[in-house]
Parts: sequence; structure tokens; C-alpha cells
Amino acid sequence: MPSAIALESVWKRYGSRTIIHDLSFTVEKGEIVGFLGPNGAGKTTTMRMIAGFTTATSGRVTVAGYDMATQNAEAARQIGYLPERPPLYDTLDVSAYLRFVARVKGVPRPAIPTELERVTTACGLEAVFRREIYKLSKGYRQRVGLAQALLGKPAMLLLDEPTIGLDPGQIQETREVIRSFGEVHAVLLSTHILSEVTLICRRVAIINHGRLLAIDSPSGLQRAVEQTNRVALQVTAPAQALREELLSVDGVRALEVRSAPGDDSVLSVECLVDARDDVEAAIARAVANRWDLHRLERHQPTLENIFLHYVSEAPPAKGAA
Amino acid sequence: MSGMLAICQKELSTYFRSPIAYFVVAVFMVGTGYFFTYNIFLTGIATMAETFLNMGILLLLVIPAVSMRLFSGEYGAGTMELLLTLPLKPWQVVLGKYLGAVAILLLMTAATLIDLVPLYLFGSPETTTILSGYIGFVLLGMACLAVGQFFSALTQNQIVAALLTVSVLLGFWFVHNLQSFQTSYALRGLVRYLSFSLHFGAFIQGLVRSEAVMLYLVVCAIALILNASYLQWRR
Repeated sequence: MPSAIALESVWKRYGSRTIIHDLSFTVEKGEIVGFLGPNGAGKTTTMRMIAGFTTATSGRVTVAGYDMATQNAEAARQIGYLPERPPLYDTLDVSAYLRFVARVKGVPRPAIPTELERVTTACGLEAVFRREIYKLSKGYRQRVGLAQALLGKPAMLLLDEPTIGLDPGQIQETREVIRSFGEVHAVLLSTHILSEVTLICRRVAIINHGRLLAIDSPSGLQRAVEQTNRVALQVTAPAQALREELLSVDGVRALEVRSAPGDDSVLSVECLVDARDDVEAAIARAVANRWDLHRLERHQPTLENIFLHYVSEAPPAKGAA
Repeated sequence: MSGMLAICQKELSTYFRSPIAYFVVAVFMVGTGYFFTYNIFLTGIATMAETFLNMGILLLLVIPAVSMRLFSGEYGAGTMELLLTLPLKPWQVVLGKYLGAVAILLLMTAATLIDLVPLYLFGSPETTTILSGYIGFVLLGMACLAVGQFFSALTQNQIVAALLTVSVLLGFWFVHNLQSFQTSYALRGLVRYLSFSLHFGAFIQGLVRSEAVMLYLVVCAIALILNASYLQWRR
């Protein structure tokens, strides 16, 4: 089965400026991929190439197996696209706007009311259904844009900063809509909000200066960025025995033992461990078998650290914007 | 097909939800009414000929107001990104919009029919001449709209689109005046053939000539094809 979205060594040039350099990645059905990058990194251009608004200078973009260059209209039926700026007709009311998009997307006329009701409910637009779009607040405009993308049950969603301008409650609701859509369909989500990526994305693609720097699960990226993590624990145990026990655990490289502040009987330990998922479990088993373990936590690099790591590392490409 | 009709319907609702449609039709009615009354009282002859000629010139100035927003407005609102990523071919977008604009033209034309009431009440005008005048008027309007829509696709700025359209349409209207500067017979023939006003004049006289119909239709076709090709090229 073809990938929902596939880019194969895609380049985009405007005159002598190269915006996208040899970009390749895929998004599969049933996953949400976060698309991260600083301003001007090429996220929007990439989104536009997948959506068919612009064409790649070279390389291949396919959507559900349809080549964007030759089978644009077939591919467009598979895509729900929310551009960076919601594409709304200010003079129309929300219902007329959504009806227009539904008709163009080929929703059969008798099915349009049900379809409008579905997206209106999903995006919380009941209260403004008959209101002219120019009267709507930024948050509602964003949600009308999302509703438009969901119309016609597309096979995938391309969302360019979907939660921008929303209040915290709306952000949560919108994420829930995206998450439930992403359980069965494919979603490519460009955003600046790193916590959003950690919350809902299975994989993250980091792009800068038009080049793909990394694509992996958030935990995969964490491992790639830092070879070691820190594990902190508090235990009631004799210091020497504890030190020996911990050093014998596979994956623990070094440690430091101190008395916990305010309680001499409790030891506070900081271990430097391999960046593997199973190390803290092994530590917990080793300690809890013999002594009282009060607390254990692993300090992983945050997505912010990872993002900065990649973005600050990449040299600006020659000729890039 | 349904996508194209949806675009056409969207254009019409946009025209009627903003003041443009009412404004354009009202201005055109007032203008035509004024010329009609003036001509009738001046000549005392039950004919639409003079009025049609005035309507033609008025049309050149009103059409840009209808056509300027067709694409420029979409660029400005960021909705071009929607239109070109929906399952639509560029020609469907172009034709859908064009049909919407032509509907406004037909409405404008229909509004002038009111002038015929006193003409038929108090005189006995030649129906076939009036009919051919209206055919010429609609064809002229369709050609002007296609040109206007093409220029609207070239720029984000509606004013620029309107000014470009007026300039080009005035060029087509007066191009036959260049014939006195031409020594070559072929060039004289060409500038005469390209003149919107000469052909329109024939319609007003009651002549529906195939070369005149062809010119208007060919201008429509070229402008619309250029329009769709430009959208495709912009990708």
C-alpha cells in the first residue's frame, strides 16, 4: 500500500534561490507527524507542495499513491488542507462557506447537511454557524478553517499551525479532533508549539534551511541527541552498599551520592546512565529489592533542547533564504 | 462540472453579499436611463441606436468594477490557496468565476429592458434591430469581462487590475482610429477588425455578422485560456 504522503528527493527553487534541498520523507496512515522548524525553514513551502498549491522543481511528491505533478485533482480529493492563514471568504456566512467547500470536494448534495453537522460539531462551530465570517474572532476563523479541511472525509490532513490564535480550551479541543483523526488517517502538522508535538505526534520531522535534519519518534530523537541521561533517586540505604549495587546495574556509567537535605537517613543519588528505555527499571528493581526507594525520576532532554540542538547545528545552506 | 457550478454560485453570493452587484446594476441603470431619455427627447425617434452606443462606452467603465475582484480578491484574502488545492482544475475555477460574472452582466442587461417599455408604448421600434443590439451588447460585455478577469489574475491589487482592464478595453474600443496612420492595407484591415466599437456599431444597425460574433468569442476564448494557463503556470 502506498504511503499517505511521500516525498522523494524534492527540490524547490525560486529563480536562483533554493528553498527546499533534497527533501525525502513519508507519512503513513494512522500516524501524526509533527513538522518542526524555525521561521523561514521551508515548512509552509513543503506543505504547499504536498497540497498541490505549488509544484516541486524536481523530485516527486505523491499523495495516497497519486503523483502531485500529473494526478493533481485525484490527489486533492485525498487531502484536507488548512493553510497558515485560514482561507476564508469574509462576506459569506459559515454555513454558506462550508457548503461551498463541500460541493467542490464532491460531497453528494443529499449528504451535505449531515457532513456540515459533523464538522460543525467536531470544531465547535454551532454558535456561529449562521454568522458572517468577517464577524468572527481569530479563534473561530481558525476553527472554520479546520472544519473546511475535515469536510469530505479526506484520507489525510495537512495542518499549518492549526492551534495558533486559539485559547487554551480550544487548543485542547482542537488537539483532540486532530488526535482522533490521526488514529485512522494520516496527519502532517506544522507547528511552533513544541509541547504540542510531544503530546500528539508519533514522529517528528525537523527541518531548517530547507533541509530535513531528522525524522524520528520524540524518544528516538532524544536518544540521538544525548547518549546519556540522568536518573535521580532517593533511597534509605547504606551509602557504600548502594553505590556498589548501582554500579553493577547494566547501563549505569557513573553516580554521585549525597545525603538528602533535611534527612540524614535518606540518600540522594544522581546516576549518569545510557540513553536506553530500560535502565531506570533495572535501577528500580536493584534498589527496591533491598532498600526503601522513595523517589526515582529520569531527566531526559526536552524537545526544546532537541530542536535547538538540530537547528543550531545546521549551517545555513548556500543560496537558501 | 459541479465544482465549476459551485464556484459560479459562490461568486454570485459574493457579489450579492457585498454592495458591488447592487452598485454596478444601479449605476448602469441610472446611466442608461439618462442616455435613453436624453436621446429620445433630442431625436424624437423611437430607436435604441444612440442609447446602445452610450451603453457600450458605459460598459467599458463598469465592467472593470465587476471583474477586478475576481482573482485579485482571492489573492488578497489568501483563498487562492484553497481554490488551487481543492479538487478543481484551473479551467474550472476560471470558467466558474466567468459564469458568475456573466450572470451579473445579464442582470445589468435585463435591467435596461425597462427602457423599452416607453419605446413600445409611444412608438413602433424595429424589434429585430433592438434584438441584434442586445446580442451585440452581451457579446461585447462577455469579451470585456474575460479581459478583465485575466487582468485580475495578474495582480493582487484590485485597483491596478481595474485600471489595466479599462486601458486595454479603451484600446480595443478606439483601435480603428489607428487605420489612418497605416499605409499597409493588411494592417488597416487588422486594426479595423480588432475594433470593438466598429463591430458593436454593426450590431446596433441590426447586422449580426459572423466576423463580429467571432471576434468577441475569440477574445473571450483567448483571455480565458490565458487566464487558466497563468494559474497553472503560477504553481
